Amino acid sequence: MIYLLPHTITESARRFPDREAFRFGKVSLTYRKMEKRMNQLAGVLQTLGIKKGDRIGIYLNRSIETAISIFGILQAGGVYVPIDPKAPVTRSQFLIEDCEIKILITQLAQRKKISQITKDKNNIHTIIGLSEMEGVKTISWESVFTASAEYNSPFRILEKDLAYIIYTSGSTGQPKGIMHTHYSGLSYARLTADLYQITEQDRIGNHAPIHFDICTLGYFTSPLVGACTVIASDAATVFPASLGKLITEEALTIWYSVPLALVQILQNGVLADQALPHLRWVLYAGEPFPPKYLRTLMQQWSDTRFSNVYGPTETNACTYYNLPEIPMTDDPIPIGQVWKNTDYLILDEEGKEVAPGTTGELLICSATQMLGYWRNPALTEKSLYRVLATTGQESVFYKTGDLVKEEDGILHFLGRKDFQIKIRGHRVELGAIEACLVAHASVREAAVYTVRISEESLKIVAAVISSSDSEASVINLLEFLKEKLPLYAVPEEIKIVKDFPRTSSGKIKRGALVAAL
Amino acid sequence: MLEQRIINYILEELHSGQSDLKILPEDDLLGSGLVESMGMMRLIQFVEDDNGIKVPPQDMTIENFMTVAAMVEYIDRTKNNG
Repeated sequence: MIYLLPHTITESARRFPDREAFRFGKVSLTYRKMEKRMNQLAGVLQTLGIKKGDRIGIYLNRSIETAISIFGILQAGGVYVPIDPKAPVTRSQFLIEDCEIKILITQLAQRKKISQITKDKNNIHTIIGLSEMEGVKTISWESVFTASAEYNSPFRILEKDLAYIIYTSGSTGQPKGIMHTHYSGLSYARLTADLYQITEQDRIGNHAPIHFDICTLGYFTSPLVGACTVIASDAATVFPASLGKLITEEALTIWYSVPLALVQILQNGVLADQALPHLRWVLYAGEPFPPKYLRTLMQQWSDTRFSNVYGPTETNACTYYNLPEIPMTDDPIPIGQVWKNTDYLILDEEGKEVAPGTTGELLICSATQMLGYWRNPALTEKSLYRVLATTGQESVFYKTGDLVKEEDGILHFLGRKDFQIKIRGHRVELGAIEACLVAHASVREAAVYTVRISEESLKIVAAVISSSDSEASVINLLEFLKEKLPLYAVPEEIKIVKDFPRTSSGKIKRGALVAAL
Repeated sequence: MLEQRIINYILEELHSGQSDLKILPEDDLLGSGLVESMGMMRLIQFVEDDNGIKVPPQDMTIENFMTVAAMVEYIDRTKNNG
């Protein structure tokens, strides 16, 4: 019976011992080998005195060791905390202190950064993945891989116990740790396996780093059904041609990434004249996909089905929209319907349910929902909305902060609640202005923000990146927007830029962008 | 020398001349975080300008740009074929 995440490995090792579980470049692990590696790492953690619920940091580039670390930690009763090696040292230190991490798992390439991280005061006593480091105990991967594979858990771990904590920036101030359980991870795995009919025959392309929840398709769903996850290297994610090669050479059947990666593959992936009969599904999430690019991609990959997946890290994925046909207009793609066994509400500012077709905030109650924010019960409570049914049963909804409207049972995403501004008395969705800009042939990406010009007034500013085939012109764009938007929503200023500051998962860093411009 | 020019570009332009940094021709630039994705695009631009070549999309791959040594080899090959 599978009720904890590491059971997906043991169960697949029993059913499909010789099938490939994870592949990274030329390195590959069968389920039998993956189970062995998982137990070896769990055993090493046990000798280090790990207790149930201890947080262990994973400080790794995408690699085969990321898979081993995730499952080794979970098997040992620990909670894994992904720490992005590309993040500034101070942020990594904050996470380590906030989670009281004492054991860090890493690789040789991070040696220099690790020495910076551990230089100042913190509690790290052991580093796995290095063979020496001043002032701390180290255990190399070689010694993990020669350790005993006999592992018996001394703990009783329940499905509602914590499995991982993902930190997100949060729009203001400190990063916040989002806690997920074995139950939420497995619920996600079961829902996705069911919806996309994922089986042991599938090969899933993993593009996202492990601090981005898009990766859970490759790390949770895939082992549940005995499929293979092909992990793209950090370097490959920089070169669209390498990603294109990965899709064809690894005969991927499912691809899941942010839209930007797909746009890059479309433009520079050198796949234009190649048939991709094996690619069954393309899933995308994280940001809206500009329809003009999606259209071209769907025309090129005509055998592939496309799915728009939506969900904040707090709920993991919670809605999906399987595109029924190639979008022929530039209208934004809906986020569709909620997953099975998921409830939702759309509330207005007074907390009343809105009429169909009316804009309101989306609230989600699902099996994939977080447990709360790490050591922040006040923020957790603020983000939740409790509904008591007449039966006495309480449903807990997460307030997504996203504005949606429902039409004929289909949800349409309209932007962030805090992305909605009032300008000269009019309510304006900055996301709608961005969608409008991206519809123009000369624009690849757009970011719209406001600048306060006096105590009572704001001005709208747009930053755009030209598309590869034509240079954007401010005058043309203003003319174009004036035809499409009410005058008060037309930006007062448009800046053409080469690129935006981004997070390592490819999302635009809005704060940094505004500061830079 | 080509190799040194690329290393200097990384040190001076991408790391604003941080003096304690050392880059070897065989270092995995992206894997070790020496160069970020935006930096890699600037670096390719530099390689193009510096050598009077144009790198087509199909050549922008890990094999050709993962290390300074790989870049030098790629540039030599491209120049000899062009």
